[in-house]
Amino acid sequence: MESQGRTNKNKKVSRRDFMGGAAAAAMAFTIVPRHVLGGPGHTPPSEKLNIAGVGVGGMGGSDLQSLASENIVALCDVHDSYAAKTFKTYPKAKVYKDYRKMLDKQKDIEAVVVATPDHTHACIAMAAIKAGKHVYVEKPLAYSVYEVRKLTEAARQAKVATQMGNQGHASEDIRHICEWIADGAIGPVREVHAWTTHAVWPQGIERPKETPPIPEGLDWDTWVGPAPYRPYHPAYHPGLWRGWWDFGTGALGDMGCHVLDAPYWALRLGYPTSVEASGSIYVSTITWNKPVNTETYPRASIVRYEFGARGNMPPVKLTWYDGGLTPPRPAELEEDRKMGNMFGGVIFIGDKGKIMCGGHGGAGARIIPESKMKQYNRPPKTIPRSPGHHTEWVNACKSGQPAGSNFDYAGPLTEVVLLGNVALRMMHKKLRYDGPNMKFTNMPEADVYIHRQYRQGWTL
Amino acid sequence: MKDHKRATTGGNGKISRREFVGSAAAAAMAFTIVPRHVLGGPGYTPPSEKLNIAGIGVGGQGNHDLSQVDSENNIVALCDVDEVRGAEMFNRHPKARKYHDFRKMLEKEKNIEAVVIATPDHTHAVATIMALKMGKHVYCEKPLTHTIYEVRMVAKAAREAKVATQMGNQHQAIEGPRLLCEWIWDGAIGPVREVHVWTYRPAGMWPQGVERPKDIPPVPSTLDWDLWLGPAPYRPYHPDYVPFKWRGWYDFGTGTLGDMGSHNLAPIFQALKLKYPTSVEATSTEMYPETYPLASIVHYDFPARGDMPPVKVTWYDSGLMPPKPEELEDARLLPWEDGIVFVGDKGKLVAEGWGAQSVRLIPETKMKEYKKPPKTLPRSIGHYKEWVEACKDGRPTGSNFESASLVTEACLLGNIAIRTGKKRPWGQALTREKLNWDGPNMKFTNVPEANVYIHSQYRQGWTL
Repeated sequence: MESQGRTNKNKKVSRRDFMGGAAAAAMAFTIVPRHVLGGPGHTPPSEKLNIAGVGVGGMGGSDLQSLASENIVALCDVHDSYAAKTFKTYPKAKVYKDYRKMLDKQKDIEAVVVATPDHTHACIAMAAIKAGKHVYVEKPLAYSVYEVRKLTEAARQAKVATQMGNQGHASEDIRHICEWIADGAIGPVREVHAWTTHAVWPQGIERPKETPPIPEGLDWDTWVGPAPYRPYHPAYHPGLWRGWWDFGTGALGDMGCHVLDAPYWALRLGYPTSVEASGSIYVSTITWNKPVNTETYPRASIVRYEFGARGNMPPVKLTWYDGGLTPPRPAELEEDRKMGNMFGGVIFIGDKGKIMCGGHGGAGARIIPESKMKQYNRPPKTIPRSPGHHTEWVNACKSGQPAGSNFDYAGPLTEVVLLGNVALRMMHKKLRYDGPNMKFTNMPEADVYIHRQYRQGWTL
Repeated sequence: MKDHKRATTGGNGKISRREFVGSAAAAAMAFTIVPRHVLGGPGYTPPSEKLNIAGIGVGGQGNHDLSQVDSENNIVALCDVDEVRGAEMFNRHPKARKYHDFRKMLEKEKNIEAVVIATPDHTHAVATIMALKMGKHVYCEKPLTHTIYEVRMVAKAAREAKVATQMGNQHQAIEGPRLLCEWIWDGAIGPVREVHVWTYRPAGMWPQGVERPKDIPPVPSTLDWDLWLGPAPYRPYHPDYVPFKWRGWYDFGTGTLGDMGSHNLAPIFQALKLKYPTSVEATSTEMYPETYPLASIVHYDFPARGDMPPVKVTWYDSGLMPPKPEELEDARLLPWEDGIVFVGDKGKLVAEGWGAQSVRLIPETKMKEYKKPPKTLPRSIGHYKEWVEACKDGRPTGSNFESASLVTEACLLGNIAIRTGKKRPWGQALTREKLNWDGPNMKFTNVPEANVYIHSQYRQGWTL
């Protein structure tokens, strides 16, 4: 036991090095093995973890597949038929419609996977954390900056194992980017361009007017959860909620946690000092002076972040593009080469060169042009490699060793992402952000978008 | 003597004008402003007499344009393929001869001295060139043409015809662009290496990013659909094209750049004396087979001009905008509808409103401190009046086809960069190249497939 503790401690040091101030300081606590601190009991590695899934129809089903070697003991979904396939896959699991009842009744649950639409992540994850369960939450961690902050704090206090579903964080490529940038491969980085090409749900549309009947087996009221109530429509569920302000977090919320993961990690970004956005207007009749569609996210947007100096790293400007928009092609990119990959991409612009990668976990990271990549003498691989994103979490639940995208890392990353959406609400205004105090210093009127009023009966 | 005096005035005008529109344009203009009688070109109407004007496309903007010139001139003929859209003008000028086909009108009405063309973009060039070749003065709505080949031909025809020309970017005549030029040439912000320009359109104005309609409604009895199509490939009538919604369709319109780029790029061309860009690169929302995408960003590189350094110009539309400059105070915003930011080595300048209506150095403290240079550029007598007077005495116009063709070409180059995107197999994402443009030879040097968009094949029966 003692030697295991030492190993953890050693790992801590290299992680700490790597992750920047606040996150590392917090992590120092979370990685102390659970049994030492008397937190929730850890499952010995030899035993299987009892996992419950909440929201198991879409991405949740896929997450559970990756965890199927553990015990899947409970499944919860507000929509029977949508989740039926997953229910069938795990016949031994008890089935629930309301996660509150599930957590209340089934005491053998040790860990919960939350993969509901964005607007219900926080309430469900918070209930699980408060009940002492380990949690795996799909990206983005939550719907609002405030929710993310509270979840991160709660997980730290509860000392549970956490992981956000940005699987690319476990990749080899993202580690390359971190190691190369730390090695000075492209010099100090002052500018980053990141984009996603992935938006397959409608955005830039109006609220449907018809009110079709609620499908049988769907608990629509619980689906709406803390969001303002509205009648059921297939334009929201299943799968199309991402584009709606009330439920989803748009293209940025969906893909930002993947695409920005590499720059966030490699550049130890922390909180931005400012954020500013513009988005395409798509309304049949323009409301003058109010170019924001308050129903759905714009078809395309550009979000500009500024981050202050971090340690020996200079201030950096990060620009996000979605809806098909991409940054200009870097002059270093050979004419026949594609920008990024199918999910999007990132271009790191350093004083001495550029790195380009795809939109998911730094996929296919290369220094550009390729001739420069070939010449590069790669540094030693100092960052611990991952056994796999879901396995990391399972290991964390059992050993207390934190997973790579635990909430102390994933929380601030998600905050960056969600601040972009606040800026979209405040279209064309530059918001100066006080991260530690979670407020805008020059535009207090933007603070209302840090959180939202929950519907009656719902609390965090 | 009177004529001689007028010629001298024209000569004086030439010099300061030359400064105003940049070298190549000015060189060409030097010809166009020589009084007509000297060169033996088409006769000019004495100032005391009324001009005989014909309108081609007289609903919508054509109605507006004619209304600016009809009270002091003779409207002798009106042409519109749509009797409903044309009705108001037809009724207002009962003595004017009515036509559906401008070709017939120009052939028959020998007393026409000048034409105002405000058809959809795809028929600008055929009408303009026919009129120019017949020695008529031409006012044509922006953008000047639908393709780059057409715009080169129009500029050439105007040069040869030596008539008075004006493109319909009305704000070229106002104070804003003149102050812009005077301040930038004064070195108010030092050499300019970066410009950002935008419009909120097409939002709420006309559809882009849509599919071709599938239903085939009957052609209204009041519309000559075949003539409306003109040189464009045939397709069945649909109200999704006419009236006005043609802007978003590749076959008929020139999208947002063609519409608002003509207004908003023009002052940049004037102030920075731009000619051909060396490259153009675009990014946009989802591509559709027949319409411009909803939103786009276009990057242009322009080479050094005289003592001015190379400059990058970036276009944004549909609500997309450049970053708010650090110099702009927290309480101020960039105008979200139309605007320009000039980034100089020694400061920044923001132009607000389409066509650079109001111009300010930022921050405001810098504006207040700025010792404005003398107003050396001639002020305009009014955009429409400029043209009417030019028809009478050969004086220069602010947006003659020489300078307007360069602005139009830039808009059209942006559209080609937008259209040249290739769809990747796995979805909507596009991959695009930066297109290198050889202006003098009118071709893209690195992406040959982009060259097919330089001109479009005309339907049988139509030629330039």
